[in-house]
Amino acid sequence: MDGTTDQMRGKTMESTTLKPEKEDSGLAGVINKILDKGLVINADITVDVAGVELLGIKIRAALASFETAAKYGLDFPSGTNLNTAAWKEAMIEKEECPQCGKRVDREDLLTIACPWCGWESAKAKKMKERKVGAKVEVQ
Amino acid sequence: MVILRPEETGLKELLDRILDKGVAVDANVRVDLSGINLLRTKAHIILASFKTAEKISLDFPEGTNLNTAAWRDQITKQPCPVCGMESRQEDLKEEGCPWCGWNYRPDER
Repeated sequence: MDGTTDQMRGKTMESTTLKPEKEDSGLAGVINKILDKGLVINADITVDVAGVELLGIKIRAALASFETAAKYGLDFPSGTNLNTAAWKEAMIEKEECPQCGKRVDREDLLTIACPWCGWESAKAKKMKERKVGAKVEVQ
Repeated sequence: MVILRPEETGLKELLDRILDKGVAVDANVRVDLSGINLLRTKAHIILASFKTAEKISLDFPEGTNLNTAAWRDQITKQPCPVCGMESRQEDLKEEGCPWCGWNYRPDER
């Protein structure tokens, strides 16, 4: 147990064996990916019968998770209240933590650390170093 | 510390590739019966991820708000060659990757 808590503190991150939860490459993973990335389906189809244009279909479809749809400003069905807390939350840019796979605020993840597993980015480390350096100088 | 890009295999990676590259189906079908043009079908279909769709400027459904932050970021963001995390292209070139530390040198400037 002690070993894992040490790793969680971010000291021996290199040897960490924490793995993202979402490593499933099955159907769940595929659906996850599609909804996350969003899918655009555009189609123009015409059917002529004996020289007469009988049927014309024009499809402009976008398929995405709520979060992705909100981020890209897709139109929601009329009557949807876009002022709830969940929508505001969805508009904050999120990123998956490279270590534990949790989706967290991108800015926080980049400049502070992952609030779940403590993973620190190169930028956060540099900023921390600089802060420590400044403190030493003041002293 | 270097984080390697998670090794994705199988269906998920395949789908990722397909969506990133986009799929275009262009089909013309003609059915003639004893010299008479009976049926003709033309289909132009495109499937792509949002990011690719924006790059090749596909139509989005009517009512889509194209002024959100996600749209502005889309084209300028690039994945890091080492860890695959995305950052703004200029930042990646000038400062390096803020995620994994690849070429990261904000102090030198």
